[in-house]
Amino acid sequence: MPNSDLIQMMKQRAETVQAIVSKITDMEEAVRYTVDLTQKQGGRTVAAAGLNPDEARLMKTACETFQLELLEFPLRPHTHEIHTSFTPADWGIAETGTLVIDSSSEDVRIATMLAETHIAVLPASKIKPDSAALEKELNAVLMADTPSYYAFITGASRTADIERVLAIGVHGPQELHILIVEEDRE
Amino acid sequence: MIKTAQDMKSYKKQLKEALSDKFLRTALDNFYTAYRENRPAVYDGIDFEGIKKEIATGKDGALPYLKELYEEFKVHAETAGAKVHIAKNAQQANEIITAIAKEHHVEKIVKAKSMTAEETFLNDHLEKEGFTVTETDLGEWIIQLRKEGPSHMVMPAIHLSRHQVGDLFADVTGKKQNSEDIDKLVKVARQELRPTYLAADMGITGANFAIAESGALGLVTNEGNMRLVTTMPRVHVALVGYDKLIPDLKTMLRILKVLPRNATGQAITSYVTWIKGAVECGASPSNRKVMHIVFLDNGRLALAKDPVFSPALRCIRCGACANVCPVYSKVGGHKYGHVYIGAIGLILTLFYHGIENDRVIVQNCINCQACREVCPVDIDLPHLIKKTYRAVLDQDGKTPAKNLILSRVMKNRRLFHFILRQGYLAQKPLARKGPMIRHLPNFFEKRHGFRSLPVIAETPFRDQWKYLRKQVVRPKYTVALFAGCAVDFIYPEHARALLRLLERHRVQVEFPKDQTCCGLPALMAAEEETARDVALQNIRAVQPENYDYILTLCASCGSHLKHNGFKIFKKDSDWLGNLKEFSDKIIDFSSFMVNVLDVSSEEFKATHKKVAYHAPCHLCRGLHVTAEPRKLIQLAGYTYVRSKDEDVCCGFGGSYSIDFPEISAEILKKKLDNVEDTPAELLVTDCPGCVLQLRGGMDKRRGKIQVKHIAELLAETVF
Ligand code: SF4
Ligand code: SF4
Repeated sequence: MPNSDLIQMMKQRAETVQAIVSKITDMEEAVRYTVDLTQKQGGRTVAAAGLNPDEARLMKTACETFQLELLEFPLRPHTHEIHTSFTPADWGIAETGTLVIDSSSEDVRIATMLAETHIAVLPASKIKPDSAALEKELNAVLMADTPSYYAFITGASRTADIERVLAIGVHGPQELHILIVEEDRE
Repeated sequence: MIKTAQDMKSYKKQLKEALSDKFLRTALDNFYTAYRENRPAVYDGIDFEGIKKEIATGKDGALPYLKELYEEFKVHAETAGAKVHIAKNAQQANEIITAIAKEHHVEKIVKAKSMTAEETFLNDHLEKEGFTVTETDLGEWIIQLRKEGPSHMVMPAIHLSRHQVGDLFADVTGKKQNSEDIDKLVKVARQELRPTYLAADMGITGANFAIAESGALGLVTNEGNMRLVTTMPRVHVALVGYDKLIPDLKTMLRILKVLPRNATGQAITSYVTWIKGAVECGASPSNRKVMHIVFLDNGRLALAKDPVFSPALRCIRCGACANVCPVYSKVGGHKYGHVYIGAIGLILTLFYHGIENDRVIVQNCINCQACREVCPVDIDLPHLIKKTYRAVLDQDGKTPAKNLILSRVMKNRRLFHFILRQGYLAQKPLARKGPMIRHLPNFFEKRHGFRSLPVIAETPFRDQWKYLRKQVVRPKYTVALFAGCAVDFIYPEHARALLRLLERHRVQVEFPKDQTCCGLPALMAAEEETARDVALQNIRAVQPENYDYILTLCASCGSHLKHNGFKIFKKDSDWLGNLKEFSDKIIDFSSFMVNVLDVSSEEFKATHKKVAYHAPCHLCRGLHVTAEPRKLIQLAGYTYVRSKDEDVCCGFGGSYSIDFPEISAEILKKKLDNVEDTPAELLVTDCPGCVLQLRGGMDKRRGKIQVKHIAELLAETVF
């Protein structure tokens, strides 16, 4: 499947589970998106986990400029105050609109679980058609002797436990934003 | 606390309560319809039948090696810093978990949903030991607060209304809640539970998968609470049934294709999480999670070796067997299971929670086959339910009087038919002149009066045969008619209609005289030995080698004769060859007319009367015949009108409607309501049992729609 079709499918499937998907050109745009959204939602804090030093620097500058607090690591003491979290995704699965995020780092876990809004950056080149196409990569992580915490995330957290009425945003993030970046992160 | 009825009298009382719970009834009815309506779209583009077979084969292949898979899992998980335990039974599991909690000075525990922990009543145990335990899954939290057990394996609080939840949350928060706003109610749980995760010392979860080759657990969830439960506290204990062990990731990914689809109609859940070993954890002094995994046996290892019941261990707890069950949809999970609910609950309860909790509920299956059709791991649930009932009878060492009589009578065809003939005389005074008995004599209880009963025929078909038989010159097909008791003794006119339709087709029909009941009622009463005996009588009587087809007008006889023989004959029986020939030649009326005789619309005069169709369970799911009857209605010059839930059981189920008349009546009511919602003038079906139920119900409600067997329908328009 050509990449543009995969991107399209990823977007469409993620949107059917209430994720908000945008295509962006680079990390700078992702950072701008994050501060804009946080401000719009009246949030004061950003937790950014799993970034490389350059990306972290971009985020720091942006937060300073817009007077948002970029939460320090470890995030554990900040669990009650994370408005927006910003993390990269390792892979995407187009068939289901799923993000795949290695969450072995506790900061990544806390960021992706306890924020009100989670923004994930997904490189277009990392979108696979289905989960079977990721089996090798996933198994490589699981088969290593080291501990790991690996996650497929599809849309925001949800429940239908009361009268089977779908409600979005239960214990996990209330919104999931996916930014598909066409240019490679590295 | 769970209060599963232990005797029929209290069960009947409970059922009555459930049936009169208005909210429950509407909620379950809506769910029932919605689940079934959404399903095709959810499975669009997925080869469900193919995957189901693959999963079943894979699961069965692993069952003999559960111990080995466990060892493999343990090595890998422990290398990554987890500690792995075995618990022989529920008590041991609870004690192991208590010991872990004590060792690590735990006070507060948060839990994510785990059916296995429900199985061991872990919360009760921990609370007795002085720990504070909070369920965090929304539904589980609600029922924990209400001190109830789950009423569904996936949606534990489906029996509750928003108002009940709103009132409960008002109590918990001390603030009035707007019950109409479900989003707000959900947010109450979010706010109330947030601090609980952060304060907890230990998190307890189950797991959907334990992957042997890597030692990783796989968890499939939606709300995000499980992720918090496994992240925030310093200790994590996973309680996992042995049956969750699978060899590899590939197996998990395959099951993941059907689990969320079947459970909640999602292509995938919000979260699928793999956890391996002791991950980073800032709350722990070592900065590593204290990670324990407890594998629960509780009878599973023995079950894995059981030649009959081992398929029950394939279950992936999707809950779908409850979702499509017409009985569940009427009475709800608290009355249709103990801890495990739905069809699989009727089976597993015996093994995990003892005979006293299964003795009564296991009898409440109408054998409609709906559960079997949706089960993503291909468990023959209705069959195993009957096997479970047999095991209950055997363990009790008592045979109910009705079973004794049934066996004695059915094994002796002459006696059986004698009694049926006597039935005509006995009921004659009741019927007055019509074909129906509207008012049952006083020794019947009122609850049986939901349908009028047909009158037993004055002359059974077998006695009419000598006048009806015709010799056909150069026949195209020679066919044995297997009438079945209902056609033979109640509705000979169905068979006469058939003969009339076959006249122009050069079909030589024979009626092997010594045929008797097909044996399904015996199997339903778990009298397998009698069923086998009767099957042999029929093979001997019919002599299948002499015919091209064995034709039946009764879907139940047809599907029983086609499939069940193989389940009840011994694997080394000398009769297997004959049985196979018998089974191969079985054909139902509609398939014979459409696929064999290829009837055309020219044989019928068009009336354009509007006809609704009821698909008998044993035709659409038992014999997988769906297109033919609908086509036949149209070929015969009628206008077929669709009604809602056409393929849902009518509530007959043979003796079921006598054992559980209250439920039978409710299922029937819904069926007839749906038909009356259409402009149909006629309702047809291809099973005399369904005709009995539907016609009886229609007569009782003085409905205008006529109920007919499809053969009768055709006979009316054939030239
Ligand atoms: S066969 Fe029908 S009645 Fe029996 S458990 Fe399955 S779905 Fe329910
Ligand atoms: S028995 Fe089959 S349908 Fe029922 S819960 Fe288990 S897997 Fe699902």
